[in-house]
Amino acid sequence: MRMRTLALSAALLASTAAFAADPGVTDTEIRIGDVNIMTGPASFIGRAVALGSKIAASEINANGGVNGRNIVIVTEDDGYVPSRSFQALTKLIEVDGIFALNGTSGTANVLAMMPLIEENNLPTVVTTAPNELIYNPVRPSVFTIGASYEDAFYGQLKYIHENLEPENAVYGVIRQEDDFGVTVEAGYDRAVRDFGLKDGIRLRYTRGTTNFATEVAQMNAAGVNVLANGAIIAGAANVLSEARKLGMEAQVASVWSENMPPSVNLSAPAGYDYLVGDYVALTGPAVDDFIERARQYVTEEELAGLNRYTYVTYIGLKVLAHAMEQCGQELTRECTVEQLRQTRDFDTQGLSGAISFDNDKQLSGTAIAVYQLNAADRTFKALTDFVEY
Amino acid sequence: MRTGHFKESYGQLVALSDSRVTWSWAGFGIALLIALPLVAHNYLLTLMVAAMIAVVGAVGLNMLTGTTGLISLGQSGFLAVGAYTNAMLMMDYGWPVLLSLPAAGVVAALISLLVGVPSLRLKGLYLAITTLAFAFIVNHLILHNAWLTHGPNGIFVSGAKVLDLDIQRGRPLYYFVLAVTVLVILLALNLQRSRIGRAWMAIRDHDIAARVMGIDLVRYKLLAFMVSSFIVGIAGGLISLQIRFINIDVFALILSIEALAMIILGGLGSIAGAVLGAIFLSFLPEVIRYVFALFGDPNSTLYTSYVYEIRGIAYGIVIVLFLRFKPDGLIGLWRDARKYWSNWPLAY
Amino acid sequence: MEFLFLLVSSGLVAGAAYGLIAMGFALVYKATGVVNFAHGELVMLTAYISFTLWTTFDLSFFPLMAITIPISMVIGLTLERIFIRPMLGEPVFSIVMVTVGLAVILRGVTIMIWGPDPFNFTANIPTGVIRIGGVPFYPAQLYLIGALAVMALAGWAFLRFTRMGVAMRAVADNETAALLVGISVSRIHAMAWMLSSALASIAGVLFAVNYRLVPDLWFQGLKSFPAVILGGMDSILGAAIGGIVIGVIESLSQGYVGQGLREIAGFIVIIIVLMVRPYGLFGSREIERV
Repeated sequence: MRMRTLALSAALLASTAAFAADPGVTDTEIRIGDVNIMTGPASFIGRAVALGSKIAASEINANGGVNGRNIVIVTEDDGYVPSRSFQALTKLIEVDGIFALNGTSGTANVLAMMPLIEENNLPTVVTTAPNELIYNPVRPSVFTIGASYEDAFYGQLKYIHENLEPENAVYGVIRQEDDFGVTVEAGYDRAVRDFGLKDGIRLRYTRGTTNFATEVAQMNAAGVNVLANGAIIAGAANVLSEARKLGMEAQVASVWSENMPPSVNLSAPAGYDYLVGDYVALTGPAVDDFIERARQYVTEEELAGLNRYTYVTYIGLKVLAHAMEQCGQELTRECTVEQLRQTRDFDTQGLSGAISFDNDKQLSGTAIAVYQLNAADRTFKALTDFVEY
Repeated sequence: MRTGHFKESYGQLVALSDSRVTWSWAGFGIALLIALPLVAHNYLLTLMVAAMIAVVGAVGLNMLTGTTGLISLGQSGFLAVGAYTNAMLMMDYGWPVLLSLPAAGVVAALISLLVGVPSLRLKGLYLAITTLAFAFIVNHLILHNAWLTHGPNGIFVSGAKVLDLDIQRGRPLYYFVLAVTVLVILLALNLQRSRIGRAWMAIRDHDIAARVMGIDLVRYKLLAFMVSSFIVGIAGGLISLQIRFINIDVFALILSIEALAMIILGGLGSIAGAVLGAIFLSFLPEVIRYVFALFGDPNSTLYTSYVYEIRGIAYGIVIVLFLRFKPDGLIGLWRDARKYWSNWPLAY
Repeated sequence: MEFLFLLVSSGLVAGAAYGLIAMGFALVYKATGVVNFAHGELVMLTAYISFTLWTTFDLSFFPLMAITIPISMVIGLTLERIFIRPMLGEPVFSIVMVTVGLAVILRGVTIMIWGPDPFNFTANIPTGVIRIGGVPFYPAQLYLIGALAVMALAGWAFLRFTRMGVAMRAVADNETAALLVGISVSRIHAMAWMLSSALASIAGVLFAVNYRLVPDLWFQGLKSFPAVILGGMDSILGAAIGGIVIGVIESLSQGYVGQGLREIAGFIVIIIVLMVRPYGLFGSREIERV
C-alpha cells in the first residue's frame, strides 16, 4: 500500500513536471538575461545596450507587459572577455534563472557562451555580433539580427563606385587582424571582383594599434583614393588624421561604429565626409520618434549614451517579446523558439528593415542603408534606403 | 621503554607527513571536496573548477618563482600554448583527452626552453621582463599563424571523454579537474622535498654559493622552467576543456599578473600558500559582489552605473592592503593564527 | 625615398612618446629601485585631468601644462606617500606588486570618473600641416618631439648640475652611503615620484593630442618598456634615446616587412638586448655572469 502511494505520487509529480513553467517565468514576471560589456574601454557599447533594453522593457511593461507578465532584465558583466562571458551566463542560468537571452556582447563572447545556450535551449537574440560564425552552423535557439560587415562594406563601395565615380579610382582596405577584419576584407574583395575595381593595397593591423602612420604611408605610396577603413573609433580617427596630414584626397567607407557620436567627434576634425553602412536607422523620423518615446522612460543623462547599439538591442527585445506574446499563458522556451522561427515581417517602426526569422539561418535585418557624414556639422544624411546586398 | 619518535622503515622516511593529524585533516578535506557536487549547484561547481585550475597554474608558477626564485611574467603565454596544443590535438587530430592534456604540458615545457636558455644569465626584474616579452610574442605568433592555430577564429573544444563520460560538463569536469589538481600538488610537494627541490632553493637563496657547492645552475634552472611550464601547460589545457572555446583574447597579459598576485598573496615559496592564494583570488570577485549586494542599494544610479568598475577597484585595493599589512601572505596569516592558538594564553 | 622619410618621421613621433614615458619609468627605477607598473595608468590619469582642465578653462598648451604639471606632481607625491612609503623595508618585488595593484585601481577610477568614451583633445594646438624638408608634420607631433628633446636635456642637466640631481644619483648608487652622508632618502624618493609624474603628464597630454584620448592609454606604459630596457633601466637619457630608436625600428619593420611586426618589434629588441647587453646602452653594469 505504501509502495503504491509512493509510486503514484512519484508518477503524479513526474507528470506535473511536464506542465511546470520553464525557469525565469512566474505569473508576474519574465526574466531576460543580458551579458554585457559593463566595464573596460568597450563599455560605451554596454551602456548603450543597457539603455536599449531598459527602453524596450519599460515600453513593453507600460503597455501591459507580455500577457500580463512584466519583463525584468538581469545584467551580468563580462568586460568583453570570452571566458567571463561563459561564467556570466552560467550564473544567469543557474543562479538568476533567466528565461531567455537578449544581450550577447561580442562575437567571441557569444561563441564562448554557445555550448551553454545549446545545452539549455535558451532562446537567444543576437543583435550586437552579426558574424557568420554565429549563424553558420545555425543553432536551433539562436536568432541573429544584423547584416555582416561584409555586406555593409560591399554596399558602401558599390555606392561609391556607381554614384560618386572617383577619377582613376584606386581602392584600398585596412582591417583588423581578427574575425571582424576578415569579414571587412570579404566585403571589399566581393566589391573588387563584382565591379572590377583596381585593388591598390590590402593592409592588416593588430587590435590595439594606435599609430597608423606606416599603414597610411603605404596606402599613399600605392595611390589609394578610395579607402575601406576597417579601423574603429580612435583607430579610424588616427587613420583619417594621418591621411589628412599626407594630403590624401579620398572617399572613405567605414565601419558602422563610426556613426556613434563619440567616434564622429574623433574623426570629423580630419575633414573627410566618410560613409557608413548600417542596418539600423541613423536619422529621420523613425529615430526622432524613438527618442521622443524614450524620454518617457529614461533620464536625459542616460539618453546621452544613445547610439546604434541602443536601437539594435531595442529591436531584439521587441522581437523576443512579440514571440513570447504569441505563446500565451503557457510560456515555455520551446514555444518561444518556435514562435521566433515563425516571425515574419515584424515591423520595427522604421528603425531597420522588417524582421523575419523564417529562413534556415534564422537571420534577419540584413538590409543595409548607406549614410554620409557631413564633417563640418557632424550630421549624417541617408544616401540609400534599406537594401539587401 | 621507547623514547622519541623513530622511523623504522624507508616508507616512513619518505612519506609526505608522519603526523596522523595531518593525514586525517587532509583526508577530511578531500572527502569534503568529493562530496561537494552532491550539495552544490552548478554555478558554484564552475567557480570551484575555475579556482582549481587557478591552483594548478599557481602551483606551477610557484615552482619557478617561489622555490627557484626566477620571476616570470610569461604565464599567459604558457597557458595559451597549453590550451591551444590541447585544443588542436583534440580537435584537429582527434587525440583522446588523456593523451592530449599531458602532451599540452610537454609542448609548453619544450617552448619554455626557448625562454629559459636566453634567460640563464638574467635575474630578477630583467628575467621578468624577458618573460613578459615572450608572452607578447606568443600571442602574436598564435594570431598570425592561422594555418596551425586557426588564427583569430579561435577553436571550439568538445568531445573530451574519459571512460565514456563527457568530462567537459558539470560533475565529471569537476572530478577530473580535482584529480588533476591533487596529482599536481602531490608532484609539487614531492619535488620540493627531493634533491631537485633543494637545489632550487639553494639557487633562490644564493646562486653563486650554490654554484660553488657544485649545483649545476644551467641544468636546474632549465629544469625549473620545464617542470613549471609543464604544469602551467596542463592548466591551460584544463582551461580549454572548461570554457570550450578559446582564442587569444582569453590569454591576455593580465593573467600573468594575476598568477603572480596569487602566489605573492598566498605567501611566496610555499605550495600551501600558492593554493590558498589561488583560491582567495578566484573567489574574491564573487565575495566582493556579495558584499556589494548586501550593502549597496540596487536602485541608486551610482550603483548601477559604477558597480562594475567599483568591483574592479575593490580587487586592486584588496591586493594592496594585503601586501601592505600582511606581506607574508595568507600562509603567514595561517602560521600566526596557529602560533597564537598553540601559545595562548602565553605570548610566545 | 619619400616613403623612407615618412617612416622615419612617424617613427620619431611614436618614439618620442615612448621616450617620454620611458623617462618616467627610468627616473623612479633609478632613485628607488622599483619598477612602477602603474606608470602607464598615471600617464592616462594625468591626461584625463588635463582634458577636464582644458574643457573647463579653454587654455592653450603652455598655460595648460603650467597647471597640469603641478597637479600631477601632487598626485605622484600622494600616491608615493600612501602606497609606497609604508612598504619601506619590504622586498622590492612586493613593492612592485603594490604598483600592479595600484594600476588596477587607477584604471577603474579613470573609467569611473570620465566614462569609457574616447575624446578629442587638441589643447588648442594648431592643426595645420607643416612641411619640414618635404615631410609633413602636424604641429602636435613637433611639440611631442620637441618636448622629448627639452625634457631629455633638462633631465641630464638636472642630474648633472643641481644638488637634488646629484643627491638622486647618490641614492641610486648606494642608499646607505647616501644616508650616511646626510641625504634625506625619503625626500629623494618622493621627489623622484613627483618628477616622474610630471613627465607622465607631459607624455600623456601630448600622446592624447596626437593619438586621441582613450581609456586604453595605459597600455602605452607597457609598450614603452622596450625603450627603458634598451636605454638601460636606470639611465634617463638612455630611456629617451631608447624611445626614439625603438620608435624608428618599429616603424621601419612594419613598413618594410609588415605582418604586424610593429607591435612585437619592441619586445624582440628587448630579448636581444637582454641576451647581449642586459644593462642596455647607457645603464650601469650590474649583471653577474654565472
